[in-house]
Amino acid sequence: MEEYAREPCPFRIIDDCGGAFAMGCIGGGVFQAIKGFRNAPSGISKRMIGSLTAVKIRSPVIAGNFAVWGGMFSTIDCTLVHFRKKEDPWNSIISGFATGGILAARNGIPAMAGSAIIGGVLLALIEGVGILFTRLSAEQFKNPAPPIEDPAVLGEAAQPFSFGQTSQHPSQYQ
Amino acid sequence: MSEEYLSQPLSLGSSSSDDKTRPNRSSGLSSATSTFATPISPYLNYDPRYLQQAQPEFIFPEGANKQRGRFELAFSQIGSSVMVGAGIGGLAGFYNGLQTTSALKQTGNLRRTQLLNHIMKQGSGTANTLGTLAVMYSAFGVLLQNVRGEDDDINTLIAGTATGLLYKSTAGLRKCAIGGGVGLGITAAYCLFQLMRTNSNGSGVKFL
Repeated sequence: MEEYAREPCPFRIIDDCGGAFAMGCIGGGVFQAIKGFRNAPSGISKRMIGSLTAVKIRSPVIAGNFAVWGGMFSTIDCTLVHFRKKEDPWNSIISGFATGGILAARNGIPAMAGSAIIGGVLLALIEGVGILFTRLSAEQFKNPAPPIEDPAVLGEAAQPFSFGQTSQHPSQYQ
Repeated sequence: MSEEYLSQPLSLGSSSSDDKTRPNRSSGLSSATSTFATPISPYLNYDPRYLQQAQPEFIFPEGANKQRGRFELAFSQIGSSVMVGAGIGGLAGFYNGLQTTSALKQTGNLRRTQLLNHIMKQGSGTANTLGTLAVMYSAFGVLLQNVRGEDDDINTLIAGTATGLLYKSTAGLRKCAIGGGVGLGITAAYCLFQLMRTNSNGSGVKFL
C-alpha cells in the first residue's frame, strides 16, 4: 500500500484497526485450522471437526488482539504526527515501542519492557525494509549519467585548424 | 468532436460585423479579440469550444478506478464495526458488572477489578463478533464485486445473506437459515433506505 493511498490521520486509526483485524482473522483462521487439525483425535472427520472448532473459537480472539494492537499503534502514531508535525520512521518506531509497552502494562514492569523492546525492534525492522525497498526501486528510475564533455578525449591538437587545408601543411608552399 | 462542428462560426457575443471570421485554432490575436464582445485574454487564442463544460473532467492516476470499490471500503468498515462493538460491549459489560457486584455485595478493590473484568470480557467478545461478521461481509462483497464486475445493491444483498448463512453454518440447518434470513433482512432494509435517500435527494418519484 503506497503512502498516498492511506487515509488522513484521525481516520487512519479505524482503517488500521480494520486491516489488522482482517489480517488476524484470516491469518489466525488458517493457523488455527492447521493447529486444530493436528491436535484433534485421529479420524478424518474428527480432525475436521477439531479444526473447525479451533477456528471458530480462537481466530476471532487472535483477530481482536491484532485489532487492538493496530488501533493502539495507529492512535499513538497519529498523536505523534500531531505533536511533532512530521511523519517519519521515528513515529512508527516510537509508537511500536509504546504500544508494546502499554498492552503489556498489566503483566508487570519486566514484561512491559520486553514487550516494548520487541515492538520497537519489529517496527524498526519494518521501516528499515521499507526504506531499503524505496532505495532499490528508486535505483531503477535513475537517469542515465550524461556523456562526459571533456575535450581531452579528442587528443592533442596536432596542427592548427583551417579550411581547405586538411591534408597539407601550409609550409609546403614556401 | 467533429470538424464540421468546428467549422461553423461561433455565435458568442455580437456577431454583426464579423460573420465571416471563422474562429479556429490557428486564428490569432485579432480574431480572438474581435469574435467576442468582451475582450478576452490574448493567450486564449483557440476555440473555447474545445473546453468541455458539460461534464466534469477528472484526472485519475494510471490504473485507478473512478469510484472506490469495496476493497477500499472494507478496512474502514471492519475497523468501525470492531470499535462500535467494543463500545457497545463495554457499556453492556459495565452495566452487567454493576448489577453483579451489587448483588454479590462486593466493594472496593474487588469491585473495581470485577468491573474491569466484565468490561474487558464483554467488550472484546462483542467486538470480535461484530468484527468477524464485518470481515465475512467484506470478503463476500469483494469477491462478488470481482466476479460480477460491478458494484451494486445485489452484491450487498447476496453478501449479507451469505454472511448470515456462514456465521450460523455450524449451528444446524434451521439456525443457519434464520441467520441467512436475518442477513438478508438487514441488507434489504439498508438498500431500501439508500434507495429512499437517493430518490428524495435527486429528482424522481418518492419511494415509500
